[in-house]
Amino acid sequence: MKINSILIANRGEIAVRIIQTAKKLGIMSFVIKTPKEPNAMYLKMADAVCDFTGNSEGIPEFLDIERIIETAKKYNIDAIHPGYGFLAENPYFAQRCEDEKKIFIGPSADSIYKMGNKTIARQLAAKLKIPLIEGSRGNVPTVADALKEAEKIGYPVILKAASGGGGRGMRIVTKPQDMEKLFNLASAEAEKAFNDATLFLEKYIKNPRHIEFQIIGDKHGNIVHLGERECSIQRKHQKLIEESPSSALNGELRYLMGKEAVKLAKEVKYYSAGTVEFLLDEEKNFYFMEMNTRIQVEHPVTEEITGLDLIEQQIRIAQDKELDFKQKDIKLKGWAIEYRINAEDVQSNFAPYLGTIEKIIFPKGRNIRIDNGIEDGSVITPYFDSMIAKLIITGETREKAIANSVAAIKKFRIKGIKTTIPFCKAVIYNRDFRNGNINTSFIEKQLKKPYYEDPDEKMLAAYFATKDFISNEKLEEETFIDFNRGKVLSPWLMSTRLRN
Amino acid sequence: MIPKLKKNNKHKDTILIALSNDNKKYEINCHENNGLFINKKKMDFIIENNEDGFTYIIWKNKKFPVEILEKKQNKYVVIINGLCYSFSIETPLSYKRKKFLDKSKIEDKVEAVFAPMPGKIIDVLVEPNALIKDGDPILILEAMKMQNEIISNISGKIININVKKDDTVMKDAVLIEIIK
Repeated sequence: MKINSILIANRGEIAVRIIQTAKKLGIMSFVIKTPKEPNAMYLKMADAVCDFTGNSEGIPEFLDIERIIETAKKYNIDAIHPGYGFLAENPYFAQRCEDEKKIFIGPSADSIYKMGNKTIARQLAAKLKIPLIEGSRGNVPTVADALKEAEKIGYPVILKAASGGGGRGMRIVTKPQDMEKLFNLASAEAEKAFNDATLFLEKYIKNPRHIEFQIIGDKHGNIVHLGERECSIQRKHQKLIEESPSSALNGELRYLMGKEAVKLAKEVKYYSAGTVEFLLDEEKNFYFMEMNTRIQVEHPVTEEITGLDLIEQQIRIAQDKELDFKQKDIKLKGWAIEYRINAEDVQSNFAPYLGTIEKIIFPKGRNIRIDNGIEDGSVITPYFDSMIAKLIITGETREKAIANSVAAIKKFRIKGIKTTIPFCKAVIYNRDFRNGNINTSFIEKQLKKPYYEDPDEKMLAAYFATKDFISNEKLEEETFIDFNRGKVLSPWLMSTRLRN
Repeated sequence: MIPKLKKNNKHKDTILIALSNDNKKYEINCHENNGLFINKKKMDFIIENNEDGFTYIIWKNKKFPVEILEKKQNKYVVIINGLCYSFSIETPLSYKRKKFLDKSKIEDKVEAVFAPMPGKIIDVLVEPNALIKDGDPILILEAMKMQNEIISNISGKIININVKKDDTVMKDAVLIEIIK
């Protein structure tokens, strides 16, 4: 079935990203306007805007399944793209789309359900003999169960939300005394984030790398992988910098891991874009972690080195088309690194930084790609996550990509809010990062300071403040004060008064 | 009769002290004829208001984008290269006075735990009059869908809890007050 129009059930940079591909393919794009950011950039770029600013009975707009489906029906929109987050991995939503004859741009509800439920995903992986980290067989419903399982596996262990992702509902437990407290925290967070408080437990692997494989499949049983992404630079399980390929993999390991990723995807008859996540330990043993059944934030690095447009592929596949390439056609060319620009205060523990972007200038160049959802005047609200843009830098080799990154990041300018740019600088100037010597505890262990500070900066800032203070003082001296009336008078007004 | 603007050319030197919030002292001397000295060292900065809408300080062939984020009388927050620095601007006299006051100040007995980020209070884990230690969790704050345990950095007795469950707080809001 041909797709002529798409409703994008998302916002920010990913909405903009989908609009761009839709434009390229001649597909009409519809977006959703919320009262939380009625002037957002994605609204201006879409072909049509569906107004969700009216009453919503308290359900957040991008989670309001029935309202989204009603809208698609009302405007006769062919397909719905969920982006990432929100409803992207909600099997019920995918099913509702199918029931209402709206094309869900993503995998089947069944695949989302099986892979989205971490316990089922693990059981499937075990059945296929894909290496797994030792863990509880199934969920741990109570603290007592968790303690029993942890005793069997040995500490440290990690508690994870059965329906989780994005680092939420996760806690590392190093000793039994902490179990109750952390179990309750993880469970409450899981309930809140995924509407499912169930947890499972795993052996915690120290200093692993996070390596994930992008896979893509069609509805005719063809599945290929598009190489790996290294996402080891993360803070509290939130990825901050991603790259492709990974400096930890060679052709042989890539072949082995890619094969396992494809095997798992085939098991659930997976179609559309998906990601199989692995941990790679220091001895280069890899373990299946989870599968994400959506387009991911970091998909651009894969696009840059494979030359494919993954959103376009998703749309093609949703129209029942066959993949027009085979595994042997996939060649990884060059190196790409993505830097997430978040509105966060790196000097105060990465706390969200709210405010208005007064002015923003992105670097431009042959090796620079910007995926962006903001512009001058955009407001950073507390309602959505803090990522505002992504800087994707390429080069023929990793060294060149890093050199290009240094140059590009220096040219990035923003006024009005604080961002993670000083963090990105700290990472790219770090020797371990430059040598490719990274793992998921890089930020805590190898980065001395989570932001780069030029040695002269503070002195220059002191001077700038003082200079402003002096010019204000001068202004005051030049202004007459009428002490009787307590008002500031200009000399001109004063002269009229004296004349009278 | 039109009054003439008073010209301030009595002092050829303007000496001010910018004191950062971590107590670093920058003595800034703007001399009318001899130029600028910072901590007695001669400095040569160029300030450029670029047509791209940004202000830069150019120093050692490097461009530092700079803006004033906040100012309140003599208190400044400057953002340079994406990082914030806070200063109070003092005259040599007010600086002396401030130092004197700081020395003679008796240590404040009541201290507060502030919200490290804006968010929603999910749960308050302590009660008034409870004794707590540095490192004890006091409440759970949800920000951007993450639940964070807020830990006290002060030991003492809780005298005031200013928030309750489901409250929304801004960054730096006083969450609880503790008497040492």
